[in-house]
Amino acid sequence: MDTILTVSGLTKHYPGFTLDHVSFSVPGGSIMGLIGENGAGKSTTIKALLGLVRPDEGSAAFWGQDLAAAPRLKEDLGVVFDGGSFYETLTPAQVGSILRHAYSQWDDGLYRSYLERFAVPAQKEIKGLSKGMKAKLSIAAALSHRPRLLILDEATSGLDPVMRDDILDVFLDFVQDEEHSILMSSHISADLEKVADYITFIHAGRVLFTRAKDELRYQWGVLRCGAALFGQLKPQEMLAWRREDYQWDVLVPDKEQARRAHPGAVVDDATIDEIMLLYVKGECVQ
Amino acid sequence: MKGLILKDLYNIGHNARTMLLVLVVLGVCLAPTTGLTGYQTTCALMCAMMVVTTFSFDDMAGWMSYALVLPVSRREIVRAKYLVLAIFCTVGDLLGGAAGALVMVLLGQPLPPLGEMAALLLFGWALAYLTGSASIPLLLRFGAEKARIILVGAFMIPVMLILAVGGILSAAGVTLTDELAVALFCASPLVALAAGAALGRIACAILNKKEY
Repeated sequence: MDTILTVSGLTKHYPGFTLDHVSFSVPGGSIMGLIGENGAGKSTTIKALLGLVRPDEGSAAFWGQDLAAAPRLKEDLGVVFDGGSFYETLTPAQVGSILRHAYSQWDDGLYRSYLERFAVPAQKEIKGLSKGMKAKLSIAAALSHRPRLLILDEATSGLDPVMRDDILDVFLDFVQDEEHSILMSSHISADLEKVADYITFIHAGRVLFTRAKDELRYQWGVLRCGAALFGQLKPQEMLAWRREDYQWDVLVPDKEQARRAHPGAVVDDATIDEIMLLYVKGECVQ
Repeated sequence: MKGLILKDLYNIGHNARTMLLVLVVLGVCLAPTTGLTGYQTTCALMCAMMVVTTFSFDDMAGWMSYALVLPVSRREIVRAKYLVLAIFCTVGDLLGGAAGALVMVLLGQPLPPLGEMAALLLFGWALAYLTGSASIPLLLRFGAEKARIILVGAFMIPVMLILAVGGILSAAGVTLTDELAVALFCASPLVALAAGAALGRIACAILNKKEY
């Protein structure tokens, strides 16, 4: 499986915030979910890898090449930013005719079919569209030049659950072959649980981990125990822990092993939300 | 680049009716008192300033981040803005010229000779283009909102240039005859284009350093 995007040590210093040596890669035919709390550095990472901000250190390689050195690669990128990028007096039809002249591979028929599929009226001004409709317009625009890599920054926020489900199916269709991939930042963990193959968790500007989603789903778990058992746990059994009112929640890397070792404890499956909460609000075990 | 130009034209199309109304009101108020030259130059300048509005729209929509991930270079983004400016100047200048002439005819005032009118049209275009050209680097550097006050400076640049040229001619002992004035007016678009090219390079340098 070829790597489509390689991010190596991206670092950017701002007053009060540092994006600190962020590294991960997106293999072909996969969806990489970028998660983290608000202000963790997800959007900055996306901006830095796209060259919208100049990193102090590090680089991003698309199909092994630097975007600045090979600008033609932009033909193969579809990007959706949070909030859309088109002024509100434009209509979706006008957006299509703008982008037709920007991309050599633009496919008008495909664009129209996405607009129809997403029920976005082509002649209505953007200011008259709901937030969800605007998101769908941005996604239709990003897909209609047949890109090989989609980069989505909170693209599904604002969509209702039914439409999110439809859009996620479009994303799953998109990565059916090994040629296409998606890098998708979202704070809606349910979306990532449905479609992502890998999860990269960014917290306070640093990557805490990149893991296959199935590893998180099938191997990681949350052990809930009292003070006595918590005191017996070895550091290598724990990834992070958090003290609740009457119990300790402990993120464990191997839930089956934890169940065997501590038969009296409750070990639940770990959701992405719980993992985030334990890492962000709890204590990490180095 | 055509897509970038289309985007600005579509965006500004919405303001066209309002702008037309403003120009008609100005026509009624200005043309009888300032004559054709004053009105037509004002029209060209006002249309040139619509480039500021396109930057406002871009800022509000977060367009620049999007434009930078399109398969166009930063230089093309700047060039597209200058082309849009040239379109605005041309439309404003011709519209002002035609409407001003119409008002003069309706008021029974004599029109200047055709050659002189053409020279004035060229001068109006040059003045508008020069003003707009100076505003683009400022808009890129500071954004549409912050740049508004500084843009007064952009208006002053062409005025100062004209005064400087007048001063140089006067110092050189050149008397500004009608023929010489017409010749200077006819040459003014070339000066504006040259200045625009230099200011465009500055705009490119600003955009190259800018982060979004």
